Amino acid sequence: MERSFQKVEEILKKHQYRKENLIRILLEVQKEYRYIPEDVVNYIGVAMGIPPAKIYGVATFYSQFSLKPKGKYAIQICDGTACHMEGSVPLMKAIEEEIGIKPGEVTTDLLFSLDQVGCLGACALAPVMVINEEVYGNLTPEKVKEILKQLKERDDSDV
Amino acid sequence: MKIFVNGKEVEINENERNLLEALKNVGIEIPNLCYLSETSIYGACRMCLVELDGQITTSCTLKPYEGMRIKTSTPEIYEIRRGILELILASHNRDCTTCDRNGSCKLQRYAEEFGIRRVRFQNIEKPAVKDDSSPIIRDNSKCILCGDCIRVCEEVQGVGVIEFAGRGFNSQVATAFDTPLGKTECVFCGQCVANCPTGALTMKNDVDELYRALESEKIVVGMIAPAVRAAIQEELGMNEDLALAERLAAFLRTIGFSKVFDVSFAADLVAYEEAHEFYERLKNNERLPQFTSCCPAWVKFVEQFYPEYIDNLSTVKSPQQALGAIVKKIYSRKLGVNPDDIFLVSFMPCTAKKFESEREEHKGDVDLVLTTKELAQVIKSSGVNLKKMTPEPFDRPYGISSQGGLAFGKAGGVLGCVVSVLDEEIGVVKEEVREINKGVNLVEIELKDGTSFKALGIFGLGNAKDILENIDDKDISIIEVMACNFGCVGGGGQPYPNDSSVRKQRAKILKDTVGIKTLLTPVENYYMIKLYQEDLKDEKLKHEVLHTNYKPRRRVEETEFEILPVPDEDKIKVKVCLGTSCYSKGSYNILEKVVDYVKKEDMEGKIEVVGTFCTENCGASPNVVVNDKLISDATFEKVLKELEKNVKR
Repeated sequence: MERSFQKVEEILKKHQYRKENLIRILLEVQKEYRYIPEDVVNYIGVAMGIPPAKIYGVATFYSQFSLKPKGKYAIQICDGTACHMEGSVPLMKAIEEEIGIKPGEVTTDLLFSLDQVGCLGACALAPVMVINEEVYGNLTPEKVKEILKQLKERDDSDV
Repeated sequence: MKIFVNGKEVEINENERNLLEALKNVGIEIPNLCYLSETSIYGACRMCLVELDGQITTSCTLKPYEGMRIKTSTPEIYEIRRGILELILASHNRDCTTCDRNGSCKLQRYAEEFGIRRVRFQNIEKPAVKDDSSPIIRDNSKCILCGDCIRVCEEVQGVGVIEFAGRGFNSQVATAFDTPLGKTECVFCGQCVANCPTGALTMKNDVDELYRALESEKIVVGMIAPAVRAAIQEELGMNEDLALAERLAAFLRTIGFSKVFDVSFAADLVAYEEAHEFYERLKNNERLPQFTSCCPAWVKFVEQFYPEYIDNLSTVKSPQQALGAIVKKIYSRKLGVNPDDIFLVSFMPCTAKKFESEREEHKGDVDLVLTTKELAQVIKSSGVNLKKMTPEPFDRPYGISSQGGLAFGKAGGVLGCVVSVLDEEIGVVKEEVREINKGVNLVEIELKDGTSFKALGIFGLGNAKDILENIDDKDISIIEVMACNFGCVGGGGQPYPNDSSVRKQRAKILKDTVGIKTLLTPVENYYMIKLYQEDLKDEKLKHEVLHTNYKPRRRVEETEFEILPVPDEDKIKVKVCLGTSCYSKGSYNILEKVVDYVKKEDMEGKIEVVGTFCTENCGASPNVVVNDKLISDATFEKVLKELEKNVKR
């Protein structure tokens, strides 16, 4: 597995190492790594001449950024009012049973991560979850387990 | 300029920075919790409200103009300020009696002045970082998010080790990734402590260690730094007192100190040694400009951020460490005791001195560093009225000093003292000082032997950073840097408040104390000369006692940055340094070529490539390590050669 480190330098170059582009740089780094690693923050700090604490400040301010690794499949489970009423809690239980993680955690093989979010704006489909950019609606615990199983199989056949 | 304040005509200075400062200078102190005259204007606390043409607005962001009509205290403003205080207090750790800032906290003062006896809002505790990994103690449960520390660290000191992290109610002042301060790039200057309005940032308190030592069998020896005697009266309710140092010496003897020495003695010694070192360098035109090395925060700053300048630092120890080594290596022999039986306590205006005494090179010389604030605590808790203590001289042989040595306590002192030695030894025919910026003085000097050079006296690490980034005048041959504004009188270990006006006052007191010293320059210091003639005759010992060395310092803890990882044990490992120095000298290009090579030659799985942040060899950057071999001044070709050697094997 090669970590796409060279990408960081490419991203920096593309944005001309300019301080005002920090947010865009971080967004692209996150896309590459699925999170913002500590060593990358230090590297960007050196390359751009910004104290790492400042980058950390920006990265912790926006909920868009994650400083913890996300899974290859980043699950966002909605616990907004509508989803909550329609049973998001049993869904989270089903996820925990299937892949063993609670909201805020990542599986050890980095395949899945789970985050609980406020509202995904798809209340008509409640309860809802989003995996990477795909929306799954009208879920039941059984459906959730089935989806996760399929993703696991898909990943196994990839290798 | 005329303005109308609360209906009355008031004459204010032209070109004031803002209304808040203008009013302060005419005797109206507008309450505020986030304004510092040394940093950019933040306008977050909303305490400094005034009424302008019926509108309520912050006076820190308001530029005065002719004829402006303002009200500074109306029932509405009073109510708003009370409300702000109550809101802050509702999420503030209010353990005032056990807080280091009890009695000197700005928030506590305002709560009292505004008669807050109860907080209407529900108390909500925040999850808060506590960090006691360094001489600076952080307790975010007492932080009010004014951001003064952040701005001082970044704008005045050019370090930027702390920043707001998180958002909304969960915002906290944090280091990158919440690393404990002791493991960051913090230089421990304590300027965040000096400017914190509450107890969120305080200095480490080691007074208990003093009492443990006084109880032990050890011989307790003290030494007092110049700037302590210009500030401690503030804590003790005393006025300016030119015999303060001698009263302190007398006091320390009453609580069990065997000897009390004067750090100014060591300052004479350091300046004398440094003047000779400088003259040598100047003659040989090497390692110029020479940087003074008395300030431990500045030394750490160079080691971390400007390792390419490490050789420019004077190798002479700071007065604290020089006297420490003298007491442990020479004085102990005179007493006929084991150095370990002496417990040496250094009284300093400084938080970074606590760090300095624990540096590997100095370990064991100074056993305990107490700040002015801690010394004041010892005096206050003893019940002794220092004013009534009869002054007693410092102990010989390390008890006398010249004007030059004592002046180390304020900015410009070291440089002045070095020049005074040059004047005695070679002769100074011209010395012209002019201020080129706030905190930066340029001195033009001509010596009798025909050489002339320029010197800079700088306070504030931010100022030093600006100079280092743009130094192009080859005539600048010596630079004094004091990390704290106005020098040691403004150190992070001094009493609160520790703002510019207080610091100027301390500098004035120190100047007066200097003025009545009989000896002018170190050359006149009989005991210093005697030390050289009798105890430091041996060059090797002299070097060991008076000189030290520095090394590049990692800015972040050692981390390896996987680029082409190889899980196998059997592999060739290439480590490319991506720290500041190496990066700026193009280490990234080497890295790129190495990765291309590995891929092209189909060596993935055999050659592992990682990045690192510092090989601590910045003088010869860029650096690459192949297996265990360090390649300095590296080029891709050099690395390739080493790699091919390893591949064959």
